[in-house]
Amino acid sequence: MPRSSRLLRIAVLGYVGALVALPLFFVFQQVFSHGLSTLATALTNHEMDKALWLTLRVALVAVPLNVAFGVGVSLWIVRHPSKLTHVIDTLIDVPLAVSPIVIGLSLELAYAQNGWFGRPFAAWGLHLMFNYWAIVLASVYVSLPLVSRQVIPLLREVGTHQEQTAQTLGAGHIRVFFTVTMRSITWATAYGVSLTLARVIGEYGAVLIVSGNIGYVTETLTLNIGNNFENFTPYQGFVGAGLLAVSSIFVLLVLGLARHRERLRHEYRP
Amino acid sequence: MSIVLSNITKHFGADLVLDDVSDEIPSGSMTALLGPSGSGKSTLLRIIAGLEPLDGGRVQLHGRDVTTVAARHRQIGFCFQDYAPFNQMTVFDNVAYGLKVRHVPAAQRRREIDELLGLVRLNDFADRYPRHLSGGQRQRMALARALAIKPEVLLLDEPFAALDAQVGGELRVWVKSLQRELGITTILVTHNQSEAMEVADRLVILHEGRIEQVGPPEQVYDKPATDFVHSFLGPLTTWEGESYRPHDLQVGPEGSGLDARIVDVIRLGFEVRVVVERGEVTTWVQLTHHEARQFNPMVGSIVAVRPR
Repeated sequence: MPRSSRLLRIAVLGYVGALVALPLFFVFQQVFSHGLSTLATALTNHEMDKALWLTLRVALVAVPLNVAFGVGVSLWIVRHPSKLTHVIDTLIDVPLAVSPIVIGLSLELAYAQNGWFGRPFAAWGLHLMFNYWAIVLASVYVSLPLVSRQVIPLLREVGTHQEQTAQTLGAGHIRVFFTVTMRSITWATAYGVSLTLARVIGEYGAVLIVSGNIGYVTETLTLNIGNNFENFTPYQGFVGAGLLAVSSIFVLLVLGLARHRERLRHEYRP
Repeated sequence: MSIVLSNITKHFGADLVLDDVSDEIPSGSMTALLGPSGSGKSTLLRIIAGLEPLDGGRVQLHGRDVTTVAARHRQIGFCFQDYAPFNQMTVFDNVAYGLKVRHVPAAQRRREIDELLGLVRLNDFADRYPRHLSGGQRQRMALARALAIKPEVLLLDEPFAALDAQVGGELRVWVKSLQRELGITTILVTHNQSEAMEVADRLVILHEGRIEQVGPPEQVYDKPATDFVHSFLGPLTTWEGESYRPHDLQVGPEGSGLDARIVDVIRLGFEVRVVVERGEVTTWVQLTHHEARQFNPMVGSIVAVRPR
């Protein structure tokens, strides 16, 4: 190996290691620093388990919502381009550009009981802020572009000839969608799902504002971690952080493996 | 029993793409829609398939008006220029697609597909994915897939354009014999006049959304109805103020006609182009290899040029 590329390799490894691997390592060092029985007690901490369960329940609704929206809006933008889709295409990126805390505040202003949007709902007895649905709303918002940004370029590349061929072979729209369209964007969608999942599980700022951060009720895993540090129980916080890191790595691993197998089977260019 | 197109009109925005196109395509024929890019030929093919809505006119298939019938109910086989393989399916499943849609029982499906794969000589490739096939194999797969639904009409959009010359040439011969064997009414779109004349028994020449001429290849070539057809079907050159096909001129010894000076001799193997100058006018004469051997044109020498 030439010397320059060896140097480059060392530089990249050092950079990624110092930035990603090492800090993560210290989190796990903290997690295991008090022995396994203490860890077992911390893992069964009732408040943290409630928080983890809430996070999973939010993801269970937010992820499918995001997939449906992401695939739908991608098809619309790619297949029926107009001035309107151009605007939509730009708007979708707002959640990536705007700070989560701003997203949280704007949602609260709009959807709280005295907000412009929230008031009519409140009149019907429906409260949209400081509960489970508020967290779902914020989670969907912050992860809005993550599916469509993966799907749009692939849809453009695949084109419409396969779908039209399927039509001439007698397939109806629903069959064409599931047997041709969806099959060519499966892995882009799966990648979007994993990004969404990671974002939903890990979101802090927006959720902090809209949830009200009520222990045992609207406290997600990330909020629980933050609360533990504020309440001087840092070890419990580290255990929560470790749990969060493990689940994110697990999501990435599953996706990586699936993609590898899929690539062995046939063509997919991410 | 035929395809009847009546007064078909189509706009893309403000552009008139097809202007009152009418034709009757005889059953069992191999018709080429021939024209330069932008002549509306592909749009016409898509309209026949039901993949493109039309602004005016009617399409009849075997006496049935299908103008408002969706593509999936037209029973038409369609092959795109890029073959549009279903990349996530094996060759077998690609060909099986139309049969699955029609709920053909598995055993019968397998039998029919084996037969089709034999017909297109892809038996050994049934379990491959399209990306493992060459261009020619992909095209044959697309043909088998279209033929699986036993279509009454086969539509081919620029079927040989994406192939290299040799593979394309072999496939032309093969597709033509297959079409004869099956007797299926076929329309192919091409911008390549020699391809159209080789494969089709009937040409429809399109130009700027209108039909210029319809007829058998030799008739259209020998008796072009318009200046456009004349110039589109083959090279033209000018001699003494009139336009000729280069192979309709010949060269002879100096003094046997109007003299001109040879400025270039281009040997293409099977043909030899002799470029001559008379005054300000440059003309080229096409000789066969054999003629060129006998006459041996030399750059700089004076020859007589005359129509054959």
